[in-house]
Amino acid sequence: MIDISSTPIMIIILLGSVGLAIPIVDAYKKEKGKNKNKLFSAITFGTLILSLLIIISRVVGGEPLPGMNFGNDVLTDDMFGSFFAVSLLIVSIMVSASSWNFMRGISNYSSYYSLLLLSTIGMILIAYSTDFVMLFIAWELMSIPTYALAAFSKKDPISNEAAIKYFLFGAFSSSILVFAIGFVYAVTGTTNIGDSITLLAELSASNQTPDKLGGVIPISYLAIGLFVAGFGFKMGLVPFHMWLPDAYEGAPTTIGALLAAGTKKAGFAAAIRVIVIGMFAIGLDWSIVLAILAVITMTVGNFGALIQKSVPRMMAYSSVAQAGYIMIGLALAPYASSALDGSLFHILNHAVMKSASFLAIAAVAIALASYSLEKYTGLGRKMPITAIALSISLLALAGVPPLNGFWSKLVLFQSAIDSGTVISWGPYLAIAGLLNSALSLGYYLWIIKKMYLDESNDMSRVKEPKAILGVLVFAIIFMVGFGIWHAPLLEFASISVPTHIDQIVPPFGNITQN
Amino acid sequence: MRRKKMVESIGFEGIAINVWLVWILPFVGAALIPALAKKNIRITNIGAVGFAIISALLAATLIPLAISGSEIHSQIQWISALNIKAGILADPLSIIMTNLVAWVSSLIMIYSVGYMHGDRDLTRYWFFMLFFIGSMQLIVLSDNLLMVFFGWEGVGFASYALIGFWYGDRKKDYVGREGHIVKGIAMWVSPTHAGIKAFLMTRAGDVMMLSGMFLIFMYAGTFGFKELLADQTWAHTMMEQNLLVPAAVLLFGGAIGKSAQFPLNEWLIEAMTGPTPVSALIHAATMVKAGVFLVARIGPLFFALAAFDAAAFFEVVAWIGAITAFLLATQAIVNPEIKKVLAYSTGSQIGYMMMALGIAGLSTQFVDGYTAGFFHLMSHAMFKASLFMAAGAILHIVGSRFMTDMGGLRKNMNKTFIFMLLSALSLAGAPLITSGFWSKDAIFAALLQSGTSTGGALFFIAFIVAIMTAFYTFRMVGMVFFGTKSKHIQTIEQTSYNNSQSVSSLSSQPSDEHNHQQDTKHTIHEVSPIMWIPFAILAISTVFIGLVGFFFEQEIHSIMASYLSSSFGIGEANSAHSTNNLGQSAGQETEALNPIALVSSFVAFGIGAGLGILFYIIRKKDPEIISRYPVLKNIWLFLYNRWYINSLLYWGFVKIPLRLYQLIWLYFENMIAQGINPAIEYSMSFLSKWVKYTQTGVTQTYLFVFAAGIIIVLIMLYL
Repeated sequence: MIDISSTPIMIIILLGSVGLAIPIVDAYKKEKGKNKNKLFSAITFGTLILSLLIIISRVVGGEPLPGMNFGNDVLTDDMFGSFFAVSLLIVSIMVSASSWNFMRGISNYSSYYSLLLLSTIGMILIAYSTDFVMLFIAWELMSIPTYALAAFSKKDPISNEAAIKYFLFGAFSSSILVFAIGFVYAVTGTTNIGDSITLLAELSASNQTPDKLGGVIPISYLAIGLFVAGFGFKMGLVPFHMWLPDAYEGAPTTIGALLAAGTKKAGFAAAIRVIVIGMFAIGLDWSIVLAILAVITMTVGNFGALIQKSVPRMMAYSSVAQAGYIMIGLALAPYASSALDGSLFHILNHAVMKSASFLAIAAVAIALASYSLEKYTGLGRKMPITAIALSISLLALAGVPPLNGFWSKLVLFQSAIDSGTVISWGPYLAIAGLLNSALSLGYYLWIIKKMYLDESNDMSRVKEPKAILGVLVFAIIFMVGFGIWHAPLLEFASISVPTHIDQIVPPFGNITQN
Repeated sequence: MRRKKMVESIGFEGIAINVWLVWILPFVGAALIPALAKKNIRITNIGAVGFAIISALLAATLIPLAISGSEIHSQIQWISALNIKAGILADPLSIIMTNLVAWVSSLIMIYSVGYMHGDRDLTRYWFFMLFFIGSMQLIVLSDNLLMVFFGWEGVGFASYALIGFWYGDRKKDYVGREGHIVKGIAMWVSPTHAGIKAFLMTRAGDVMMLSGMFLIFMYAGTFGFKELLADQTWAHTMMEQNLLVPAAVLLFGGAIGKSAQFPLNEWLIEAMTGPTPVSALIHAATMVKAGVFLVARIGPLFFALAAFDAAAFFEVVAWIGAITAFLLATQAIVNPEIKKVLAYSTGSQIGYMMMALGIAGLSTQFVDGYTAGFFHLMSHAMFKASLFMAAGAILHIVGSRFMTDMGGLRKNMNKTFIFMLLSALSLAGAPLITSGFWSKDAIFAALLQSGTSTGGALFFIAFIVAIMTAFYTFRMVGMVFFGTKSKHIQTIEQTSYNNSQSVSSLSSQPSDEHNHQQDTKHTIHEVSPIMWIPFAILAISTVFIGLVGFFFEQEIHSIMASYLSSSFGIGEANSAHSTNNLGQSAGQETEALNPIALVSSFVAFGIGAGLGILFYIIRKKDPEIISRYPVLKNIWLFLYNRWYINSLLYWGFVKIPLRLYQLIWLYFENMIAQGINPAIEYSMSFLSKWVKYTQTGVTQTYLFVFAAGIIIVLIMLYL
């Protein structure tokens, strides 16, 4: 039985009770309007900060946590989960603080913040889950509030369209996940992730039919393919990404930030725990598939972004491309020891960079009531701090030194080059990544050029929303600070992933086959 | 336990935190300046000066450490992939240097409050000043070449930004006499031009330094000074491939650029377009010393690699120093602008320091030359900063950079006169009472006692340069403070008299960056205390050090001797390295004064000062007589035209490459820009359009693609 004082349980209790209490408080408080927004925003913000402090204190102090763990319980308390929890909480904190400004003037504050907290619980639990049922429940707990949040601007048809598309695909991918879990359960008779991986591996090893599948039983192919699709929906991998630009653009921009920086990362958490570890144990030669997906994802993402007129849409495509970079690490996990480090490092960086860019866009939307790139002309004069934060986050996304995005890309590409000693196609991923980074500058720099070099008729200062400014300043400090001194983050990432995957699950499969 | 390591690596343990803060705080201050500027200008001033002073106080806490001869070395993991650590190293060398930088810069910051009062761009000024101090302290306190390089680029950037601070390029901010053209190259330049020139010329040095650094890194796998010394296998490998001395000389290339040594000396002269406190801080007291400091840092390292013969490196250092000292001193003699005279003198004096450090490596008594060079660095930083600030005070009042526009100021500005005279005496090397005398004497002694033929030749040059130094110093003092008032000053006094009669029309003019100068032009008067006190402090301390000069030198000598022997194993017992054992007896001699050096210091001062007094103070002879002798006149012209070096550099590196560039643009680059680039652009936007086209917005399509995706993934897995 998992300990009541373990991190995930404490987070559930803390965030859950506050999340449920907010609507009750709302029912008893009679006053209307902005004050409630402030109150709930402050409560949410405080709760999230508290949870972040709890996790950080567990990570830094106290007895050391295991790197990545598969227990018999439904949840485990390990560094891997903590790493994602820290990343996701940072995103939620940034979003909740920004909502102070952004949600002003929209009714139903209590449900907004309540849903935000509940969704955050879901995201965090995904990272800590060690059981398929728990994972699925957490997945739904994360997704369902975000469907409602995406549709939060009720009167806005674009927001509604976005929410419906998002919901349809969410439901579709959830069903695919259930399907995949069902296959695994049918074969192994257990829903525990660690156990089922071990059992599948044993089955594969004992299955000696001399067909093309080698030792792997066909049903595990099916399961893993469906897992890739199910998680790939949230991660925004390319054939499963079509809903994403529409949803990120249409949802309220703060929720766009949550989706792009938060739920996407939860998808990666699940994917690393299930697919990477699972396929490794079963001994599938799967790297090439993920590598192809990675390259297609980053290329399509960048090309999609290149000529967009709407900035949030551009950022949505950019987050597709970023998922491609992260996938490099997933694909090469067995061949380069630093590959997963790089993925996790980039996930944390991306969480901050992408939230910062979306929230800067939210600030512009508040001040100028537009998402169009044309309106960004002269933003450097109109909203100097927002513009500098947006520029820094864009440059960080592109991987320009000395910002944090540079280092995580460096680790990723380095691991791709290192893997060249084992597999010949490894370094091509680094080349693809580099070319794509160069291509991505095509639209990142375009935005920066619009903001600083182009003159607009009206260059007068516009009031910048205060809470978002605070968030953006934090993001600037994070991006520049960890750009100069990235060692602690990389260290954190590398202790959160197992250096040798075969220590986690018994290596029944043989990775060097074919 | 990796996690434990991470936690430890984040915390700075023990006392080291103050060393880190010495260089971090000015950066923090710089970042806060724009925010403070939102409040009001007073708080900004207090904040800027406050950060400099707090940093200086922190630096002062290290002094006991230097006296006791111990050191602090603290490191944290920085770039783990390459095993590069960030770290600070506070040993006697860096502690003395960091205090010098911190306190001189604090005084100059205070002075700036008065000098820059009313400037429109004060925020930018404070930002770059603090940024500069932080970068300079980073150079001084860093324990590895990589961080030194970061600081190096930081000071270069701040220097560029502050030289071109008055980017409006008004005529009054130019340097050089308008219309002075030498071989087709204009010798008067605007602040922006000067800034870019300084940036580019120092860049040439920086590129050399960078290549030297990475050459060493390639073999040693580390940038750390301590690590380089601890494991010397890299030096063996490099020596075998004949790369050790080239690498050292390349590193020295950075010092040549930064310290304005020949042949990269020309930028320093034009750097005088910056505000005078900038000239005092960056282009006299600190940044240009960074090169000397670098040599002081790496010199013992190369010397300590005793198995190798690095004499060629020290030979280069010494001769570059000597050439620069002579070259720039000759030009200082003929220049009519007060700041340029001081700038030439700075380069020339730095040449002395290089000479001393170079001879240290050539002689058996490494510590003698080393101490002499470092002592001269210290005393020069003080008196030159003081001289610049005093010159700034005069410019502030007179409003002209030409000494011919001054004259007879000693009565109107007697405090400035007294303190400038004291610092000037120190520069000229006035015997026994000034720090400049003792440090120069130490250099003479080191050159004489080196026991090498190079030492003798260098001593001859140093002696000549000392005469010239005394001469141009007295020339400057004489032209500014003695004689009759120039036309310019008379006009000012006349104007102010008229203005006091009628209502001033100046106040109705739109306020300019420098409106305070116009306000204060009422009359020729003394500057405010906030301006004269800082340079008075430095002038008095230079005399104070002069009075106890011999003992002061002994103290530094003993600190440096114990530092060199404990850190590098370079001691007086280290005779294994000595090629001739003549130096053995010299061990005792260093405690006493070298009579030849002492006498020649006296004589040099006597000749130079005597000539200076003759021509410019009592004015028995008119310096115009040289125009009567064609030879002298041509020499004068040669010197005044800066040995034609500037023109040569411009032709070689600006004019001709620009022509070439135009040809390349026309026949090659244009072709790519107009022919190939658009093709890439169109193909990219075509692909982008294609992606956009697939994104139909129709949900059915999306679902179809999704389903197809699953099937494709499954097929790929199967294959």
